[in-house]
Amino acid sequence: VSGEDYYRNDQELEKGVINIYDGLQGENSTSSNDNHSTQVEYYLTEMRSDNTRTKSQEGEAAQFESYDVQAVNGIVYDYYRSFYNVIYRANVVIENLDNASDANRAKFEGEAKFLRAYAYFNLVRLFGDIPLIDRVVSPLEKEVQFTRVSASSIYDFIISDLETAVVSLDNNYIPKASRAGAQALLAKVHLTLGNYTDAQVLLESVMQGGFALQSNFNDVFYKERNSEIIFAIEYLPNLSDDSQNFSAEWLNAVGRTVGVNYVTTEARAALDAMGGERTQYSYRQDVDQPTQYQVAKYFPNGELGPDYASDPRLAGNDWIVLRYADVLLMHVEAIMAGGSSTSAAAALSSFQKVRDRAGFTDPVTSITKQELLDERRVELAFENQRFFDLVRFGVAQEVLSSFSVDNGYNFQSTDLLLPIPQAEIGISNGLLQQNPGYN
Amino acid sequence: QDSFIVSGTVITGVDNEPIPGVNVIIVNSTQGVTTDFDGNYSLEVKNGDVLQFSYIGFTSQTVIVNGQRTINVTLQEDANQLDEVVVIGYGTSKKSHLTGSISKVVNEELDQIPVARVDDALVGQVSGVNIQQTSGEAGSAPTIRIRGTGSITGDSGPLVVVDGAVVDSDFLGSMDMNDVESFEVLKDAASASIFGSRGGNGVIMITTKRGKEGRTKFSFNTYGGYKSARQSDSYYFSVAETAERELAETGSLSDKTRYMQLIGTDRDWQDVIFDGGFITNYALSVRGGSEKTKFSTSFSYLHDEGVLLTDDFKKYNLNLRVDTKLSDKFSTGVSLTPSYTNTRRFDGSTHDILRQPPWLPLYLDEYNIQFVNRTREGGAYADAKIGDYAVQRMFDDYDLENGMPSTGSGTDISDTSNTNPAAKVLERERRDFKFKLYGSAYGQWNITDDLNFRTNFAGDFQNTKRTRWQGVLASRNGAAAAQSDFIQHNTIHLVWDNFLSYNKEFGKSEISAIAGISAEGWKNDYSSMTGTGYDSDLVQSINNATLISSATQFEYEKRLLSYVGRVNYAYDNRYLASFSIRRDGSSIFGSNYKYGNFPAASVGWNVSNEAFLENSKAISNLKFRFSWGVTGNDRLNTGNVNPNVSDGNNTISTGDAMIDNYPYLPLLDASTAVINGALAGGFNPINIANPDLQWERSVEINPGIDFGFYNNVVSGSVDYYKRTSDQLLLNNPISATTGFTEALVNLGEVQNEGFEVELRVRWITKENFSWNTAFIASHNENTLTDFAASNGQIQNVDTKRAAEWINLEGNPISSFYGWVVDRDIPTEYIRDPYHPIGAEPQDVYVKDLNGDGLIDDDDKAIIGNPYPDFIWSITNNFTIGSFDISFMFQGSHGAEIRNMGDQYLFNHFGSSQDFDPNTTPDQGFIKEKIFTNDIVQDASYIALRNVNIGFNFPKDWTSRGNVFTNARIYAAGQNLMYLTADDYTGFNPESIDNTSPTAYGYQRAGSPIFRTISIGLNLDF
Repeated sequence: VSGEDYYRNDQELEKGVINIYDGLQGENSTSSNDNHSTQVEYYLTEMRSDNTRTKSQEGEAAQFESYDVQAVNGIVYDYYRSFYNVIYRANVVIENLDNASDANRAKFEGEAKFLRAYAYFNLVRLFGDIPLIDRVVSPLEKEVQFTRVSASSIYDFIISDLETAVVSLDNNYIPKASRAGAQALLAKVHLTLGNYTDAQVLLESVMQGGFALQSNFNDVFYKERNSEIIFAIEYLPNLSDDSQNFSAEWLNAVGRTVGVNYVTTEARAALDAMGGERTQYSYRQDVDQPTQYQVAKYFPNGELGPDYASDPRLAGNDWIVLRYADVLLMHVEAIMAGGSSTSAAAALSSFQKVRDRAGFTDPVTSITKQELLDERRVELAFENQRFFDLVRFGVAQEVLSSFSVDNGYNFQSTDLLLPIPQAEIGISNGLLQQNPGYN
Repeated sequence: QDSFIVSGTVITGVDNEPIPGVNVIIVNSTQGVTTDFDGNYSLEVKNGDVLQFSYIGFTSQTVIVNGQRTINVTLQEDANQLDEVVVIGYGTSKKSHLTGSISKVVNEELDQIPVARVDDALVGQVSGVNIQQTSGEAGSAPTIRIRGTGSITGDSGPLVVVDGAVVDSDFLGSMDMNDVESFEVLKDAASASIFGSRGGNGVIMITTKRGKEGRTKFSFNTYGGYKSARQSDSYYFSVAETAERELAETGSLSDKTRYMQLIGTDRDWQDVIFDGGFITNYALSVRGGSEKTKFSTSFSYLHDEGVLLTDDFKKYNLNLRVDTKLSDKFSTGVSLTPSYTNTRRFDGSTHDILRQPPWLPLYLDEYNIQFVNRTREGGAYADAKIGDYAVQRMFDDYDLENGMPSTGSGTDISDTSNTNPAAKVLERERRDFKFKLYGSAYGQWNITDDLNFRTNFAGDFQNTKRTRWQGVLASRNGAAAAQSDFIQHNTIHLVWDNFLSYNKEFGKSEISAIAGISAEGWKNDYSSMTGTGYDSDLVQSINNATLISSATQFEYEKRLLSYVGRVNYAYDNRYLASFSIRRDGSSIFGSNYKYGNFPAASVGWNVSNEAFLENSKAISNLKFRFSWGVTGNDRLNTGNVNPNVSDGNNTISTGDAMIDNYPYLPLLDASTAVINGALAGGFNPINIANPDLQWERSVEINPGIDFGFYNNVVSGSVDYYKRTSDQLLLNNPISATTGFTEALVNLGEVQNEGFEVELRVRWITKENFSWNTAFIASHNENTLTDFAASNGQIQNVDTKRAAEWINLEGNPISSFYGWVVDRDIPTEYIRDPYHPIGAEPQDVYVKDLNGDGLIDDDDKAIIGNPYPDFIWSITNNFTIGSFDISFMFQGSHGAEIRNMGDQYLFNHFGSSQDFDPNTTPDQGFIKEKIFTNDIVQDASYIALRNVNIGFNFPKDWTSRGNVFTNARIYAAGQNLMYLTADDYTGFNPESIDNTSPTAYGYQRAGSPIFRTISIGLNLDF
C-alpha cells in the first residue's frame, strides 16, 4: 500500500493512531537493529537506579548498573530511535488532522499529542536537551534533527500537548490515552518542574475519576485493565507482533540475555523492611541460582496470573505506565510541594490508602520526604519509576553515589543523563553535541 | 587400398623457418600428428585422404593425397588470426577490432577445478576482477568486484549474461562448468554500456557449448576430491598451554585450571566445526549435428559436502539445446536448462562455537559424567546421562578437595549458560531447495546477406523453498523455542530482445551495426510462516507447532524497457571506431527519472597493420585504443531476499524487497497494536519516499594497448582506467529523529582509478615440451570524491559492537575509523589473566593523537580500508610428452580487515579479563580494542590457487580400440598453500560478514578457506 494518498479520512487516521501504540509496544525480537521501545526501558531506568542490575555483570547491559554507559551503547540508541519513531508516528497523524471529521478530529489530536508528549517526557528526562521534532521532517533538514533544544522548551512543548489532550480526550478508553491519563502525566510533568499547585489540581481531578486500588497487590500486575490502571502499554500473549519479551529477559536464561533486571541487595532490603504485603509479590529467589533474586511482577508464564504464554518470550503482560497508587503518592508529593514533610489531611488520606493495602493500617500522622520516597520505592519497585523519583526528589546524586561506592561502581554526576547515541553524533558532522562526561 | 607413409616439413611464409607443433590431421578421421621441432611430420595415409595443416596464427591449408610420398607445406600468417571471435553485448566482434577492454577466458581446464560454482573457478583468471570467498559454506556465492567498488549500493556485483540473455546472478550457482565454452568479461564502461543501467559494475558474459557439425561426440568428465579447512593457529587454545604459562608466571596453578585439567578434555573446536568433506562431480554430454541441425545435451551432478559441520550442496543440471537452419533465410533454436539444488546450510556462526573453552566435552561419557553437578541450576542436570550434550553449567561447583561435585559452593568454570555449541548446529536443519528453469528460443531471418533480424525470447523461473528446523536441543530454551520456518519464493523473469544486425564490407571498410529493443520483466511472490513450540523433533510440520507465530506474504514486480543501438567501423583493419547508445526505462524510479541514457564511444588504431610495421619481425601486433562510456545502476539492495547470502543474525530475513522495487513511493505496512485487550489494525509508514530518486551513473575512460611480439610469443595488454560514479544510489544513514534510520538517496561521487596488465609468454613450444606463462595484475584505488552533506559521516554496522567507519572525502569510501593502539595493559593489572582459556583483555591503552592529555573523539583516525591495492596471478602451463602441468599463484595485497572475530574468540567480554580499576594507572587512556586498530589486520594473502597435473593417454593407445578419441586423468589441488600476513589471526582474510557499501570489510570469524585435493578423468568418445 502506498501512503501518498493515505490518512484522508477518519478510518485511515484511526489506523495511524493505532500505529502510534504499535510503536510504543516495540518489536518483540532479539535483533539489535529493531526498535524495541518500551521493552528495553528498564535498562535505561531501573538498572540505572539502585533497584536492579544484571545477573552476570557482563556486556553492554551491565554498563547501566555500573554507570559506565558508553555513547555507543546499542540499547541507548535503540530507545532513542524507538521513541523518536513514536514521535514520528504521532506527527504523521497530527499533520493530517485536517482530513478528519469534525466529530473525531479532537479525539485523534488528543491521542496523538498525549502519546507524543509521553515520548518526549521520557526522552527529556533521560537525555536532557534533545532535538524537538514537531512535524514530519525530511532527511535533508539536518539542522532540526541535530540541534538540541533546551529541556525547558521541551517541557513547554510537552505541557502544551498534554493540555490539548486533557481537553480533547475523555475517560472512555482506559487504559489507552484518556483524559485521566493526560492529567496524571501532566501532573508528573509539573511535579518534575516544581509546579506543585498545578499538579495537585490535576491529580485531584484524576482522583474523581472512579479509579480504585486493587485489594490484592498481586492483582495489579496479573489482572489486566483492572480498576487501578490509568495508562498501560498493552500486550497479548503468543503473538510475535504483539507480545513482549522483557518478562522473559528478567528470568534466568530463557531470553536473549542471561538474566537482566535482577534485584539488588539494596532493593531487597528496602522491600523486606518497608514492603509489607507487597514484598512477596515484588521479588523472589531465583530457583536456578538461589543467591540471585528476580522481579516477581510481570512473570510471563502465568505462574501468578492468567495471561499465560506458552513461550515466555511471547508474554502478554501489559506494561503499566500510570496507575492509581502512583497518582495517590504524587498527590502527597504535590501537597508536600518540595518541603521536607507534610501533615495535611488530604495528603495523609492519599498516603494511608496506599499503606492500608500493603497491610500497614496504623494511621499515619505525618509524612516526611524520605518516607514518601521510600513508599514510592516499595510500591512502584521495578516499574521504571525509581530513577526518575530520585532525580525529581533531588536526591539522585547522593543516593546513587553511596550506592555506587558500596558496589564498586563508578557513578559521576554526569551519569544522571544518558549519552546522545554515538550513531547520531557520527552522522551529524559535528552539529550534534554530546552530553558532558561521555567523550 | 593400400596405405602408405607421407612425410614433409612445414615452414612459415614469412621467413621460411620451420614451425614446430603444427597439427596435421586427416579430415573426418581420428588420426593426426603434430610437427616436431624441425617442422617435420610423417603420417600413414591413403589416396584420397584430405590432410589439414593448422597452427595458431596461420591460415589453415588442406592438401588432397594423391600418391605423393612427400608433402611440404608453407603456412601463411593470417592477418585475421588474432581474430579469435569475442562475444560482446548483443553480438560478436573480431578480437582485432575491439576498442574496449574485454577479457576472454576459454574453458580449458576450468571444469577441472573442484568447486561447486562456476564463478569460484574464475578466481585469478581475469585482470581487474576480484573474486572473494566471502562465505565458505558449500555452494555459497563469492563476492565479485570488477575494477573495484564503484557503485556503492548494496549490490556492486557484475551483471551476468548467458548466451546473450541477462540472468539473475544467482544463476552462477546452478550452472555446470562443463557446459561453459567461454567467459567474456566486459570491464570498461564503453563495452558494458550496451547493457546501460546494469553495466555499471561490469558484465560477465557466458557462452555455453553448442553442438558441432560432424560425428556425434560423447564426453564424460568426473572428479572427486576431499576438502579441508585452513585453520588458524591463533584461535587454538589449550588448557595445557594455559597451565604451563600460569605455572611459569605465578608459580602455581589456580583451582580453575586444575579442575579443567581434571575433566580431561582439551579440544580444538576448529576440528569439530571444520569437519571437511568430499566433493564429487559427474558430467556427461552428447554433442553433434548435421550441416543444418546441431544439438547439444548434457547432464551433470555435483555433490559438495563442504568443510563446515552440516553444510552440504547437491546440484543436478540438465541442458538441452538445438539449433537448426530452416532455410538459407531462416534459422531457429531453443535451449532449456533445468537445474535443481539442495543445500543444507551451516546454521550457526563459527565464532559462537570457536569461543567455547577447550575443556568442554562434546558429549558426556563414562569418565566425564562424574563431574556433572546434579544439584546445580535447580537440579536441571539431575538426569544427565552418558551421550547427552555437555553443557558448561553442568560442571560448576566442583569440590576439588574431595573430588566430587559440591552441593554448596565449589570451583566454577563456566562462562555461559548456553547449550553445547555443537548442539546448536547439529540440532538445527536449514535447507534451501532451488528449482530453476532457464529457457530461450530464437528465430533469425537473414533478410539479405548483410542484414538480419533476430528475435530472442528468454526466461527463467526460480522456485526457492527454504526450511529451517530448530530442534528441542538446539537452544537453552528447549521445546518452547523449537521452531520451524517455511519460505517459498518464486521469481519469473522474462526477456524479449528484437534486434536488427547489419554487417558489410565496402572495399577496405567494414561496418557492423545493431539496433534493437529489449523488454524485461520480473515478477516475484514470497511467503513465509513460522511455527514455534514443538514437543519433540519427530513431527516438524507447521500444524504441530504450539502456535504459528508469524506469517508473511508479498508480491512485487519490476520492469525494464530498453532501446539499443551500436555502430562499429573498421578501415583496413587499421582504424577502428565504435559508438553505442542505450536508453533504459525502469519501473523503479518515479516518472521524472524513469529513463536514463547511456552512450559510449571508443576508437582504436592497429599500428601493426600500418605499412611501416608490416615487415617488422619484432612487432606482430600493436594496437592503441581509447574508450569512453557511461553506465548506470538501478539496483537497490536495502534488504535481501536472495537466499544465498547469509545474514549476521542467522535469522531468515525477508529484507525490504518492497522498498527496493518501489522506492519512490511512500509505502505502508500493516501494523497491529493491542487496544483494550483486543488486537487493532494500523498502518505504518516503512520508508521515506524519494520521488526524485534516479539512476546511478558511472563515466569511465579507458586508454589501453594490446601488443604481441615475435609471432606473439610475448603478448598482452595494458589498460588504465578512471571511473567516476556519481548520483550514487545509497541507503544513507539518517538521524533517528526523522522516524527512520536510513533513507535512499542519490548522493556523492566515488572514483576508481587503476591499471591492469595481462602478459602471456610462450617460452617454449616444442613437440614434447612446451611452457607458457600468463601473468595478470591490477591495481585499483578507490576514493570518495564528494559526499555532500554526509561527508565525514561516521557509522557502524552493529550497535552491540559499534566499531566505526568514516565516509570522508579524499579517502576510500568505507575507511575504518577509531583510536590507535599505544600498548597493552600489563598482565599484573588484569583480574584473572588465565581465564577463560585463551581470553585476552578487551581493553588497551590508546594514543593521545592531538596531545591534549585526554582521549576523546578528536583522537580518532583513519586506521585502514578494506580494498586491496594490488591483486595478481601467475599461471604456468607445461606439457611434457603425455603429461601436462599447470599451476596458478594468486595474491592480494594492501587490503585490511576489521576482524571482530577476535573479540569473540579471545573472549574479550569476560569480566575476569577486565583491568583492576583500583590499581591500573592512566585509566583515561584505556579504550576497548574493538574501537581501535588492534583488530584492524592486514588481509593480504598469497595462495597457490590451483595445481593440475594430467596424463593424456597416447593417441595410438586411445585410437587402438577406436573407442576413445581422448582420455586424460589428472590430479588437482586447490589452495595447497595459503599464506596470510603475520598479524592476521583469522582463518580466511577474504571472508566478509557485512557487505554494506559504506561500512565494508567486517569479519566476525567468518568461514574458512578450503584446501581441496582431487583426481579426475576426462573421456571423449
